[in-house]
Amino acid sequence: MSSTGASGAPPNGGQAVVIDAENLRMVYPGPKAGASPTVAVAGVSFQVVRGEIFGFLGPNGAGKTTTISILTTLLKPTSGRARVEGIDVVAHPHDVRRKLGLVFQRSTADEELTGRENMAIQAGLYGHTGGTVDGRITQLLTQMDLGPVGDRMVKTYSGGMRRRLELAVGMVHDPKLLFLDEPTLGLDPQGRAGFWRYIRWLRESEGITVFMTTHYLNEADQLCDRIAVIDHGKIIALGTPRELKDSVGGDTLEVSVAPGGPDLSPLVTTMPGVKGVARSDDTYRLKCTDGERLVPRVVVALEQAGVSVRGVKVVKPTLDEVFLELTGHAYREEGEGLKADSSEMAGDGSGAGGRA
Amino acid sequence: MNLPALSLIRREYLRWIRAPTWVISGLMSPILYLLLFGQAFDLGKLLPPGTPASALSQVLSGAPTYFSYFAVGMVAFASVTAAMFSGTGIIFDKQLGILQRILSTPISRRSVFLSSLVFRGILTLIPAFLVVGFALLLAHVPDVAGLTVGSGVTILDAVQFLVAALVLSVAFTALFLSFGFAAQRIESYFGVVTILQLPILLTSNAMYPVNIMPTWLQYVVGVNPISLGVNVMRMSLFGSAGYPYPVGVYLAGLLAWAALFVGLALLLASRALRTDVPAARHGSALSQAIAES
Repeated sequence: MSSTGASGAPPNGGQAVVIDAENLRMVYPGPKAGASPTVAVAGVSFQVVRGEIFGFLGPNGAGKTTTISILTTLLKPTSGRARVEGIDVVAHPHDVRRKLGLVFQRSTADEELTGRENMAIQAGLYGHTGGTVDGRITQLLTQMDLGPVGDRMVKTYSGGMRRRLELAVGMVHDPKLLFLDEPTLGLDPQGRAGFWRYIRWLRESEGITVFMTTHYLNEADQLCDRIAVIDHGKIIALGTPRELKDSVGGDTLEVSVAPGGPDLSPLVTTMPGVKGVARSDDTYRLKCTDGERLVPRVVVALEQAGVSVRGVKVVKPTLDEVFLELTGHAYREEGEGLKADSSEMAGDGSGAGGRA
Repeated sequence: MNLPALSLIRREYLRWIRAPTWVISGLMSPILYLLLFGQAFDLGKLLPPGTPASALSQVLSGAPTYFSYFAVGMVAFASVTAAMFSGTGIIFDKQLGILQRILSTPISRRSVFLSSLVFRGILTLIPAFLVVGFALLLAHVPDVAGLTVGSGVTILDAVQFLVAALVLSVAFTALFLSFGFAAQRIESYFGVVTILQLPILLTSNAMYPVNIMPTWLQYVVGVNPISLGVNVMRMSLFGSAGYPYPVGVYLAGLLAWAALFVGLALLLASRALRTDVPAARHGSALSQAIAES
């Protein structure tokens, strides 16, 4: 457990809490009588404050979609409570639905309708109609770079356009809180990075709070202000990407020296700022908090000791290492993750049918 | 009707107007029956030559010709055939996650159900009107049998005909809509619908007169909702002389069926639209994968 993950409280207590989850649990009954139940969420607590992009990061099946379903009133938790904009999601689901926008993993737009029609109908579901809505739709289409295709049927859209339309549909009723469930699933890395721009842009221009789930490490790292790392239904770490990475020991300094010299470990261990040393042949891996600042000092000290330094490299920690450190198993993303994706998609349709 | 429900009706309308093939295919069978079966299979020609027209009319419970008798049955047949597609939209909405998106908005669950019933009910009624128009038109084509209506038909009779067609449409729309809410897959939906279609149609008086059937079958046919609706429609056009009960009895029976089917649809819809129980129980697409992984 990371030190920052103990309470789940936001870093700056002065800001308004938009989402407040307390010990949420979700246990799915077995598909048949007698089958063992599945614990999807095993006691999750956290708070999201106004204006931040809060990420739920974890591999497939970690409980991310279940959590987002509970917070958006699409699922009633087995136990625990959650408040969105101060409203209890179980007691007053109808009021909560007015407050939030939700973007699903998959495209939920009607293929035979235009982007504009999809948005107008969604606005109607919230009871919004008329000239203000038309203006809002045009504005959002322009902001999402969908202006020229707004009157084209969705079936002609590219994958990236569809994701942006989902975002526009989710924002059409002007919510101050947006939920995104794996928003960039299926996009290539370039498309993903492009999509982040739109989310950041919405946050700046509309002043919204974003709660998102993702299983892409770099997405959480680059986009989110704070991350809750979730595995097997539990939050195992919570903090800013920086905090999480520091929690696994900060940077690593890789120093290569001329071969054949004596063991330098005793020398570098004593240097201020070095927390640990590992040696493999002529390369020393120094654990430290601030790699860049240590570089000149290490080089000078070694040269003074008569050692010829061949190269120095600062290795920044990644969330990969955070995950490995916290769970004891490596994070599966691209290869394994993609496979899991496709089976998850199949599960949506055919799996659901199995319960008819 | 509130704005969210109207929005859903608009959505269904736009989807339908851009892919109306199913309605056309739903109209195909009744039109073919009118053009081929109804023309070829004239019960009147089986009677010995010289038999008075009144004898045939008696067998046909007051209808002037077999085709006229048969055409009214086809009105009901067209409605039921069109209604068979009522539940398909909701299944696709479930599978594609569109239903989940709708349920995440503040629209009431009742509005979701009502908008489906109203829109699909209207869609079901359209083929009925087209069949009436087509059958009336055929009467003006030489050498082709058509629907001929007695001169005594009043506005009130026409309204009575419309009410019967409407209630019949609503009843079968609700029945098939309830299957749509219950089923998770289009295959299982059409499996059930196909099993039901022929028995419902063949145990009705849509195609042949009830009084030439064996007694046991007459009982079954008598309570069949199609028969009840067709009886009211035929009485509206050809008079009620040949019927043992007044028109109100048949209409009441039809309304009872409609109430039953709407009740069933309401029950299954409220189950499918629930968000307060774990999704695994009712197979909602959104969380299914999580439950299984």
